[in-house]
Amino acid sequence: MKFSWRRARSVAYKEYKHILRDPFTLAVTLILPMIFVGMFGFVIDLDYKHMRVAVRDNDQTSVSRRFLQEMASSGYFNLTPVHSPAEADRELEQNGSPALLIIKRGFGRNIRAANPENPGQIQLLADGTDNVQASIMGTYLQGVVQKANAVFAKDNPDLSGGAESGARTGEQIRSRFLFNPELNSRWFIVPALSTIIIGFLAIVLTALTVAKEWENGSMELLLSTPVRPSEIVLGKLVPYFVLTFLDVLVVFVLAVYVFRIPFLGSFPFYMLACWVYITGALALGLVISVVTRQQQAAIQFAFAVGLLPSFIFSGFIFPIENMPAFFQYFTALFPQRWFLLISRTVFLSDAAPVTLAAAFGAIGLFATAMILLAVHKFKTDVEP
Amino acid sequence: MNKTDIVISVKNLVVSFGTFKAVDGVSFDVRRGEIFGFLGANGAGKTTTIRTICGILNPSSGSVTVDGKDVSNSTAVLKPYIGYMSQKFTLYPDLTVHENMRFAGSLYGMSPTQIDERSRKLMDFIGLPQNLPDPVSHLSGGVKQMAALASSLLHDPELVFLDEPTAGTSPQTRAAFWALIRRLSEMGKTVFVTTHYMDEAEYCGRIALMERGRLVALGTPLELKEQFFPVKPLEISFSAPVQNEVRELLKKEGIASAVFGNNLRVRAPDRAALERACAPFAGKFAVREVPPTLEDVFLQAVSGRKNQ
Repeated sequence: MKFSWRRARSVAYKEYKHILRDPFTLAVTLILPMIFVGMFGFVIDLDYKHMRVAVRDNDQTSVSRRFLQEMASSGYFNLTPVHSPAEADRELEQNGSPALLIIKRGFGRNIRAANPENPGQIQLLADGTDNVQASIMGTYLQGVVQKANAVFAKDNPDLSGGAESGARTGEQIRSRFLFNPELNSRWFIVPALSTIIIGFLAIVLTALTVAKEWENGSMELLLSTPVRPSEIVLGKLVPYFVLTFLDVLVVFVLAVYVFRIPFLGSFPFYMLACWVYITGALALGLVISVVTRQQQAAIQFAFAVGLLPSFIFSGFIFPIENMPAFFQYFTALFPQRWFLLISRTVFLSDAAPVTLAAAFGAIGLFATAMILLAVHKFKTDVEP
Repeated sequence: MNKTDIVISVKNLVVSFGTFKAVDGVSFDVRRGEIFGFLGANGAGKTTTIRTICGILNPSSGSVTVDGKDVSNSTAVLKPYIGYMSQKFTLYPDLTVHENMRFAGSLYGMSPTQIDERSRKLMDFIGLPQNLPDPVSHLSGGVKQMAALASSLLHDPELVFLDEPTAGTSPQTRAAFWALIRRLSEMGKTVFVTTHYMDEAEYCGRIALMERGRLVALGTPLELKEQFFPVKPLEISFSAPVQNEVRELLKKEGIASAVFGNNLRVRAPDRAALERACAPFAGKFAVREVPPTLEDVFLQAVSGRKNQ
């Protein structure tokens, strides 16, 4: 007997009824993304602003004052001038400044001389116990240095030579500067949220469906009818696809209209990528369900397979470029990594979709593989 | 259609789960249009046999053919001819009866109008109201069973498997079930039914008795009674309260008896020996032959095997 669209449609319609009859799941599915976006968009602000820095200006020239002015106006730093080592100690130890900036004597003279062999030097001493803040401070300071250089209108590229920030401008950081000139972490995080939400929610949603049928006995009835595994798999994918796509739209609308995050790329391409990614995630959930046949086990699997890679291996929390080589390749197995790349790129840059062909191919391959696996692993007998 | 056509043929069927043989070398035939009863304790292998015939469990060895086709390689062709009501409750609890029907029917390629028409007939016959507005989980046990039965009959299958359809239902529901089963048989459908109720077994055309994976008896209720009871059981009734004393005496003589209300029943009687043993109580009891019940047959068949 051939694949029957009619039977697949019947399964889909039945699944749709299940969804409607389960208001709790429906509510969770639609509200969870809003909570996610709200949490990451409003509450968690990874931007460090007005970081306290004690400043000891040993140069005391118009150039050094101009530099400090530039630094203060960036908004990232709150500068407190100190005039002696003792005052600097007090500022650091008692008033809680996490860093001390020292402008070396001769800074202004060297800048004016514009001798590459002998640049103007500044030194940043930062409290390493908060390593995130320390490295961000270094990064931001480099931004200030670059801007100051432009202001001085002197070709003096080694101006930052003395900034012992420890941060080196890697490729990733450069791209941030290009497409997210304000280094706005919200711009960076919110477009990535659909990756996390789908990568987790979609898997959990479908992970329960087949296991539930095994547990309540309806699978036995299903198997005694002419319905085929491919029809069940397709029928179960469609309603959850619609549901998950609604989530994507919710995140998109919040991102663009509430958080005012620019969307510079191709909208049709983004939608297409969403569809493929959703399909892969849902099919992965089905594979879990088909293999475990128990809701309890399925949900645990789904958490492990959905949540962990979404946060850790996608590049959401830890940049892939900073991972050891093995993990850089390892993350390539997870569609979350590729969709995250697509999502961020499409939001923040106007790069042509062609540049994302590899990432798109990866999520397409994953979706196809998962559908085939779900159909293939589907048990058609009730042997325990 | 020839009434003696063989529709199901099971030969040396073995179904193992790991080292456990749930079905161990079972052979039997089922004729078209008959009501075939399957009896046995829990775990005797009834459900496993049914599932194998329905094509949702693979035999470890042996063969099962339905309509001459091997079940293992023609499941897709056979499924439309088979209606299966599982022992487990298999309807979707969050859907209404009507929605369950629509779903089950559509999997057999029926149109919504066909499904509605057919389910109306079935519901009328079983005595279920149409269009119950509640999801199935809100219905009573009997109504659920009825709905499950109706759902398995929706596509008008030639072969109907009912696995303990009446378990835990009221006498009225059981009566309705059996009326429907007889009706199906009259229409030429083959009905394969398992049950724990011995009185229901009497309604079957033929009965197969299973015990720990093996078939221990097969025949019409009458044949089985004659086979296991060439001599009819005797029942001793008492006019004085000496039941226990008599039972003790019989035991000493090596005659087993079973308490049956106020009476004693002796299943393998030697009438002369019995009367000799009871002589001290002459006048206080009467002995008469009684027809064996299927329960007698069942116990005899099972204990007979244990003695071997």
